[in-house]
Order: sequence, then structure tokens, then C-alpha cells
Amino acid sequence: MLDAGRHPNIEVLTNSELIELGGSAGNFRAKVWRRPRYVNEELCTGCGQCAEDCPVVVPNEFEVGMGARKAIYSPFAQAVPNTYIIDRENCLNSDFLVCNNCQKSCDRDAINYDDSGKVVDINVGAVIVATGFDVYDASAIPSYGYGLYHNVLTNMELERVLNATGPTQGHIVRPSDHKVPRKIAFIQCVGSRGEGKEAGCQYCSRFCCMNTVKDCLLIKQHAPDIEEVLVFYIDIRAAGKGFEDFYRRSQEMPELKYIRGRPSKILEDPETHDPIIFVEDGETGKVSRIKVDMAVLASGAVSAESNSRLADVLGIELDENGFFEIDTKYGSPLHTLREGVYVCGCAAGVNDISDSVAQGSGAAAEAERFATRLPEEKEPKEKKEIDTSGPPRVGVFLCHCGINIAGVLDIEALKEHAKSIPNVVHVEDNLFLCSDEGQRMVQERISEHKLNRVVAAACTPRTHEPIFRESCDQVGLNPYLFEMVNVRDQCSWVHTTTPDKATAKAKDLIKMGVARSKHLQPLYKNSIPVNQSVLVIGGGVAGMCAALELEAQGLKVYLIEKEGRLGGILNDLTRVYPANLSAFELSRALMEKVEASRIEATASTEINSIRGFVGNFDVATTNGNLKVGAIVIATGAHIYKPGDEFGYGQFDNVITNQELENILHDSRDKIKIKGETPETVVFVQCVGSRDPEKNSGCSRYCCPTTIKQAIRLRESGVNVAVLHRDMRTVGAQAEEQYRRARELGVKFIRYNDERLPEVFGDGGRARTVEILELALQRILQVDVDYVVLAAGMVPNEATTAKLHDILKVPRDADGFFMERHAKLGPVETTIEGVFVAGCVSGPKDIADSIAQGSAAAAKVASIICKETVELEPTTCTVDQSLCRACGQCVEICEYHGPSLVELADGRRAAKINQALCKGCGTCASWCPTGAIVALHFTDEQIDSMMEALLAGVV
Amino acid sequence: MTPRKRNDNGVLVLGGGITGIQAALDLANSRTKVYLVEKSPSLGGRMAQLDKTFPTMDCSI
Ligand SMILES: Cc1cc2nc3c(=O)[nH]c(=O)nc-3n(C[C@H](O)[C@H](O)[C@H](O)COP(=O)(O)OP(=O)(O)OC[C@H]3O[C@@H](n4cnc5c(N)ncnc54)[C@H](O)[C@@H]3O)c2cc1C
Ligand SMILES: Cc1cc2nc3c(=O)[nH]c(=O)nc-3n(C[C@H](O)[C@H](O)[C@H](O)COP(=O)(O)OP(=O)(O)OC[C@H]3O[C@@H](n4cnc5c(N)ncnc54)[C@H](O)[C@@H]3O)c2cc1C
Ligand code: SF4
Ligand code: SF4
Repeated sequence: MLDAGRHPNIEVLTNSELIELGGSAGNFRAKVWRRPRYVNEELCTGCGQCAEDCPVVVPNEFEVGMGARKAIYSPFAQAVPNTYIIDRENCLNSDFLVCNNCQKSCDRDAINYDDSGKVVDINVGAVIVATGFDVYDASAIPSYGYGLYHNVLTNMELERVLNATGPTQGHIVRPSDHKVPRKIAFIQCVGSRGEGKEAGCQYCSRFCCMNTVKDCLLIKQHAPDIEEVLVFYIDIRAAGKGFEDFYRRSQEMPELKYIRGRPSKILEDPETHDPIIFVEDGETGKVSRIKVDMAVLASGAVSAESNSRLADVLGIELDENGFFEIDTKYGSPLHTLREGVYVCGCAAGVNDISDSVAQGSGAAAEAERFATRLPEEKEPKEKKEIDTSGPPRVGVFLCHCGINIAGVLDIEALKEHAKSIPNVVHVEDNLFLCSDEGQRMVQERISEHKLNRVVAAACTPRTHEPIFRESCDQVGLNPYLFEMVNVRDQCSWVHTTTPDKATAKAKDLIKMGVARSKHLQPLYKNSIPVNQSVLVIGGGVAGMCAALELEAQGLKVYLIEKEGRLGGILNDLTRVYPANLSAFELSRALMEKVEASRIEATASTEINSIRGFVGNFDVATTNGNLKVGAIVIATGAHIYKPGDEFGYGQFDNVITNQELENILHDSRDKIKIKGETPETVVFVQCVGSRDPEKNSGCSRYCCPTTIKQAIRLRESGVNVAVLHRDMRTVGAQAEEQYRRARELGVKFIRYNDERLPEVFGDGGRARTVEILELALQRILQVDVDYVVLAAGMVPNEATTAKLHDILKVPRDADGFFMERHAKLGPVETTIEGVFVAGCVSGPKDIADSIAQGSAAAAKVASIICKETVELEPTTCTVDQSLCRACGQCVEICEYHGPSLVELADGRRAAKINQALCKGCGTCASWCPTGAIVALHFTDEQIDSMMEALLAGVV
Repeated sequence: MTPRKRNDNGVLVLGGGITGIQAALDLANSRTKVYLVEKSPSLGGRMAQLDKTFPTMDCSI
């Protein structure tokens, strides 16, 4: 958030709306209405004095009405921008009344009651719609009594209750009596997957199952004495990378019970205000009344109310659910029906964060086609750098992180302690150091107190160190003179129950941080030239889309495919969900585009080796050598090959969904399997998925694929039954199709892990399938002509193992490539310049694979659009005068950093390639002569930390 | 199709939630001018309201 607020190429217009869009792709003329804020953004520092003095108290919408704010306010602590705003509906100043309190209290004269807003004209090449969703209003279901009963909350409210900065500071208490609830129930699918009018929408909101799983785990953390948590659900939809493991983790929580069933109503005990839940157990059919202390409604998502107005302005359509309509003919989820206007995230349908982020990047790549690049910034002007030659002048900044830190640690004691450390010349604390205001404070103190070292005692450097470094850099303090101490994860979070000891530990950590900071030395980034070409490995949908997007940006693109032709899995499919497009047409359209482009695509080619680093990779293929600046891996996945499960291999009428896909591909109207029309087909779901022994994740594509295939069979008169654990029909149109299948008479029967369906037969043919019908607890026997196994997606082992070896991209527990961050960096990897797209990083469907292909293109563009790339200077170097050329470092380094070279005097010594070195320090700790120095972790720095810790102890 | 481009074209991003912010940052990092328009007084969208988010459980801001 702060990054966007600070970026020189981004102009942020908050409190604003688009009111007109003329022109066409490449040349749009937009009018944006900037609503009056009544506070001057340039003058306001966000000090908050005005809000202190404002007499009006109103409910706070950010806290879903549970907390309070003033009529002049900042929406939340880390808001960007942190300018205050007056809510004129509640402000006392009017024609008849004068309050003027805030104007009087503002030192900077930022308040202007006469602000009337303004319209700004902007010319752009493309428009990206990322306007999100609204939360379903649970009071629309009267039988649940939300809004009437005291202790019935929504998931959004619970989210604020669990939040350390929320209205209860993260303590779980129930609204009626502020007591800690001992028994909590969650009700899933509120406003989603509805049948009637009042029930909300028909689709599945996709995030609410996982959000409830998350909340259950958090409740256990926040209220360890909880006695019981009940989750009433229809299916648990843990369909996304890492979701199934997360769900499994929750199942290990002894207090947590998942109960299948949709409660019919909730009543309230008039005396205790305890909600009473009426529910028919989906498995046993028994209706029960269950009294709990608090009920949480897992409210779903609906399209934003303002969509229809915005659609008019944009000249595009809405779909039947009120989301922006997608032009499905490209198979991509990003195109609207107006050229140059793209849609992503929850504006086009419900998505979780990871898919939203990938779509955001994908839309960026698409929009890039109609945009022009700003001229490359010449070498930044010589900045005046703060002199660090004198004695260290250390500033220590303590962050409360809301109450995440301050709720446990004694901040005053830490401040006193920090002040007593030699060379510390300034100490200050702040509610959120990472906020705009907090960072500005740090910058001001650097100048005021002539600080030449900065220590922040706050949260994790993994996410926040870059923000601090950047702030230091902006005011001329070399960013590597900043030191971060993690007193949140390492003190307040892990030692919540022993605050004294946590504070003592934080004191030690701060002491060590200050000691190290004194020995920090300025470091400078080197830059190396970037080769302006890209290699895409794998020519499935993801790879082809990435290549096309990159080519459209004017880059030289190489696309290599192992098989004889492009297309990947698509080549084996018939019609594909959600829009029932022909897979053949879809892949042919992409192939034709690739052929017509300047992309150098070669089939029947494989990678032999890759050496080098971001900006400069040397690639050897079976078809010649290439030099590229970045690499996109899009080598897809394989379909699980069943062993002898469910009679596969033993009975020849037990086939996989992929084999069925081939059969459907060749059938016209009458479906014939091996020459005959089957009467009954039974699908078995989750074969080779959701099984910790084989493939722990949910493969996500197989439920909607089964629905697609079942409908096709049913429509030609076949009886179809689907045996499943949960039907996970998430994604566009999936739930609607699931309903359609039921309406057509497809039977859905649930099995559980303890008793899998069994297939019996003779003479090489399966005859019956036996399943325990959970609802009636009886064994059901179905005569079958065909059994179809919905096989999961597994890594393409040969390719993934090889590329892992060559490029060092880490793999996850199931063997897929691991992203830089599952949610926030879905197409990046930890190796700079190497990206992943499509099923190579986990099971996905076509739309998600395409979005990721485009997203990877956007990421590549941000590296390659520059002539040079900057290298992190926190690497290792060799003092060659001490080196004996033993070569141990060469052997031990995973990244091929060190090599032995000949020096001018004929001696041999190690040299470390700064572009390959990740600064991990393995070689430095191994080097027998101490010739290798880790520049940001010198022995001196580490020793000083030890000394600080042990001073007075030994 | 060759896009009809003017020579000073930026991109308009509507919505400053996680999706819009991601789009804006990627464009800006590829040296494209971005106008990020947000209806409410602050960036952040829904995610800013969440506590921790699945499946990695890190903080939302
Ligand atoms: C039976 C079935 C039905 C499906 N139905 C649908 C549906 O209806 N709708 C939907 O949205 N999705 C469906 N899917 C999922 C969809 O097929 C995938 O999401 C999509 O094809 C993934 O594309 P990809 O580019 O990531 O991978 P792939 O299609 O697997 O492409 C990867 C490419 O990389 C190549 N490759 C592999 N290794 C190398 C190497 N070492 N060097 C060079 N090239 C290499 C492969 O040969 C392949 O061409 C279905 C999947 C199956 C199995
Ligand atoms: C209770 C709850 C818990 C969740 N938990 C998780 C989780 O743990 N993990 C996870 O992956 N996902 C979770 N989600 C889903 C997650 O919130 C969404 O995936 C994500 O917020 C989508 O981001 P977005 O940017 O598309 O939309 P939003 O976050 O809705 O952002 C849209 C932005 O656009 C602005 N806007 C709206 N209309 C206009 C307009 N006309 N002009 C300009 N701006 C406009 C809005 O003010 C808003 O700032 C949860 C959702 C909810 C409701
Ligand atoms: S099944 Fe879908 S709508 Fe229902 S709670 Fe789960 S994710 Fe939400
Ligand atoms: S069949 Fe596939 S999509 Fe459905 S739950 Fe099992 S693994 Fe997930």
C-alpha cells in the first residue's frame, strides 16, 4: 500500500470516481471527480489533533460499526494517504451552526470547509477495473436474526474483533455481556449457494470456507480456553494452493467439529442472549437445537452496488450476478467487451487474494499494450549522502504494531533501556512505524539528530525492511546502515503469557541490534546490463499467453516446447468450462497468434543447461544456444496415473477423466465408449488428490471437470452418479453448473475418508460400485457400465526435478514449484529473473493459467524495460591475499557463485560472482582461512552482538 | 491488430484494493504512468480490514 503511495510513476487519487470515459483504446479521455475532502492533502501531516478536538462521535465503518470515530478522521491507522477527511454529513458546521473546532486546532491551516472538489481530465491508453466487491448483507435472511440478536455476528465483524487494532484489541468477547465465549458456531454459505430469493446469490463465494478455517485457528490462539467450535457447512471448499493442508491443520484442533448441514433458523434465548441453532444433520438427518454463546455468519460476497453506474460510464455490461462481464472468447478472465478496458480481482467475480493479485498483474500486462513507457530515468542525481565517518549516532525507533507489540511488551521500559545504551542519541515510539506518518517521523529525526545509524524494534524484516531502507535512502542515509530487530514475532507473539520475560528478551535484542548497527558499513548497489529478451519454457496456454504478451511489449521472445506441437493439455480436451468453448478452437487461436508473431517458437526442444543470473542467462537447448534476460517456466503438470485404485488396470471399463475426455472428443451426439452406449456411469472424485501420502492438495480442476462431463453424459441419456468428499465447484459458473447437473438428475453421493467406495467385477469388467451412504448409514450398490476416476494434477516430475536442479527454484511439499509468496507473489520465484505461470506451480484451470501467463509477462517487463538491473550488495567477497585456492567454496555454494581464477601474479584464488551470490554466507563460514567476508554480516558485526548479549553474564 | 497509441499514454486503474494496487505497481515498475483512482478516502480495500489472511497467516497491510 505504502509502495503504491510512494511510487513516482503512480498518482493516487483517493476519494475520487470516474464520471466519464470518452475516446477509445489507446486514446481514452477520462474525467475523474475528486470529491471534496475539506482537508488539504499537501498541508495535512496526519497528526490527528483535529480529531481529538472534534465533538462529534459516530460509528466507525472500518470497524463495521463496532468502534467509533469523529466527524473528522483518518479511516485507519495505516491509511494511504494519511490525510484526514471531514464527513460533512456528520460535521456540525452548517448554514445555521458554526463549530470550527478542527480548523482552530490545526496548526497547518489545512482545513477548508468550502472545498467543493474538482473534476480532473486524464488521457490514458487503457483502463483497468479493479473495484472489488461488497459483503453480503446478512440481515436479508430474517431467519438468522442478524441485527436482531445480540450474539450473532458476521465474519467481517469477527475479523475486526480478532484484529489487534480492532474495537476489542483482539480479545474475543461476545457483544451482549463482553464475556469470552466458550462455544462458537460458524454458519457457512450465508448469502451464497442459495436456492430461494432471500438466500442471496447462487454462486459460491469462494473465500468464506477458508476464512472460517482461518478464524477457527485464530480463535484457538486468542482464546485458548475455548471449549467448542462448530462449523455448519455444505462442502468445505479448500480449493487453492496450500488450502487443503490448512484445512487439515484445523481438523487436528480437538475443540473443532465440522458438521454437515445448513441451519434452518436461529433463535435467541431471551435471558442469556445465547443463540440457539436449529439444524438438520446432513449425514444423519436428525434435527437438533444447539445452544452456543456466539454465532458467526460466514457472509459471502456480492457484486458492488456501484457497478451498474460504473458500467454505464465505462460502456460495458454486467453479468447476471452484477459483476463486470467478461469477453470469454479469449479464455482469459481479463477482457471486457470494450477494447482497452480490462477487469481483474473481485470486480469480475469472487476471487481469493492470490488469484486477484495474479489477475491484477495480468491486467497490467494487457493494458501495457495501449500505453507508452516513460523515458528511462537517467542515473539518479548525485544524492547528498550523510557522512558516517564520525562516531555512531544511533536512533532507536520502537513500534507498537497496534497492540501486537505494545499489548505485551512494556514500551516505556524498552525506551528507558534503549536510552541507556551508549551511542544512542534518540529514542522514540510510534503506533505504526510502517505508516506514512511513522516513516516521515523517522526521516525527520534522522535529519534533526544527525543520526547515522537507525535501529527499528518492530515486526519482521521479511516484509518491512525494504520500507525502512527506502525511507533512509530518501534522506541520504545509506540504506544498509539500517538495522531491524523483530520484537514482535520473536517476543510479543511467542511469549504472550510471560510479558516480563518477553520484555527482557526484547531488551537483549535491542542491545544486540544497536551493537551491530555501530559496525554496519555503507554498501552500494552495482548495476549490470540486461539482455532484452525472454525465454518461455513450455507451450501450453500459460506459456503461449506469456509469450504473446511479452511480444506485444516489443521484446524478443523464445518459446520452446518439448512435444511436437504447442497446446499442452488443451490438445486432449473437448469443450472446456466455464464458457463451453471448444478446446481445439481456443488452442488453435493461440497457436495462430504465436505463428503470426515474431515469437521464435521451437517444438521438440528441451533445455540442456542454464547458467547465469537475472538479466544474463545463458541457455543451452537441444536446438541451439540462447542468451536471455529472464525466464518464464510454464511446463504445466501431469495428470495422476492411478495405480490399482478402484480397479484401474484390472477392469478395462474403469478409466480416468482424461481418457473420458478423449472419448467425448470423438463422440458426436450419441456417446459411445468403446463402441457401446453406456447406461450408467459412476464418477469417483479426488483420485490422487487430497491424500497426504500421494498428493496432499486439492486439484481444483477435477470437480468442475466432472460436472462438465457428467452433464454431457446425462444429456445423452446416461445415468450418472458422482461419488465425492466435497464438491468443490469454485470459480466462474461452476456452482451454477453443479446445480444444473442436479436438476438434470445427476446423483451426488458423499463418501468419507474412512470408507472409500469399492469397485467389484469379474472377467476384466467392473460390475458394481459399493458405497456407504452416509445419510442413511447403509451400503448402496450401483450397477455400472463405466467408472470414471477424477484424477488429480501432479507435478511433471522429470521436468520439474530437472529445472529445480538447474535453476534452484524451490519446490513445495507436493513437488510443484513454489512461488515467492503464495498470496502476494504468485508468479515470482525466489530466484530473480525466473518466473512461473500456470499449472507448474500447482493445479489451476485455464482461466487462471492464462491470467498467470499474462502476470508473468508483466513481471518480466518490469525487469527488462530497464537497460540495467541493480544487484543486492549484501553479498560475499574474497580477500584474495588470504585465499589458498582450496576450492571448498566452489563446491559448497548452491548458486555457483565462487570460482577459482588466475591472478595477475599467476597465483590461483577464489572469486565470487556478485550477480550469482545470494549473500547466504555458507562459504564464509566454511572458508578455512577466513578469506571470505559476508559484507552485511561481518565477523565484527556478529561478535559485537554476542558481546552485547553476554556483557555482564560471563 | 496494432494498437493506436499516443505517445504520452498512461493507464487508469479504478479501485485501490489489493488487485488495483498490484496492477498499478506492475505498470509503474515498467515505467508506465498510472492514475490510481479510489472511491474511498484510503487505499487498501477489503484486505486492509482483515486480520491475518489464509493460507500464509501474515498481516494484511
Ligand atoms: C481431463 C481434463 C479436463 C480439463 N478440463 C478443463 C476445462 O474444462 N476447463 C478448464 O479451465 N480447465 C480444464 N482443465 C485444466 C487445463 O487443462 C489446465 O489448466 C491447462 O491446460 C494448464 O495449462 P498450462 O499451460 O499450465 O500447462 P500444460 O497444458 O500442461 O502445458 C505445459 C506445456 O509444457 C510442455 N513441457 C513440459 N515439460 C517441458 C520441457 N522440459 N521443456 C519444454 N516444454 C515442456 C508440455 O509439453 C506442455 O505443452 C482440464 C484438465 C484435464 C486433465
Ligand atoms: C471477511 C472476509 C475475509 C477474507 N479473508 C481472506 C483471506 O484470508 N485470504 C484471501 O486470500 N482472501 C480473503 N478474502 C477475500 C479478499 O478480501 C479478496 O480476495 C480481495 O480483497 C480482493 O481484492 P480486490 O482489490 O479485488 O477488491 P477490494 O478489496 O474490494 O478492493 C476494491 C477497491 O475498489 C474501491 N472501489 C469500489 N468501487 C469503486 C469505484 N467505482 N471507483 C473507484 N474505486 C472503487 C473500493 O473502495 C476498494 O478500495 C476475504 C474476504 C472477506 C469479506
Ligand atoms: S461453500 Fe463457497 S459460499 Fe459456501 S462458505 Fe464455502 S466458500 Fe463460501
Ligand atoms: S475432485 Fe478434485 S477439485 Fe474436487 S475436491 Fe477432489 S481434488 Fe478437489
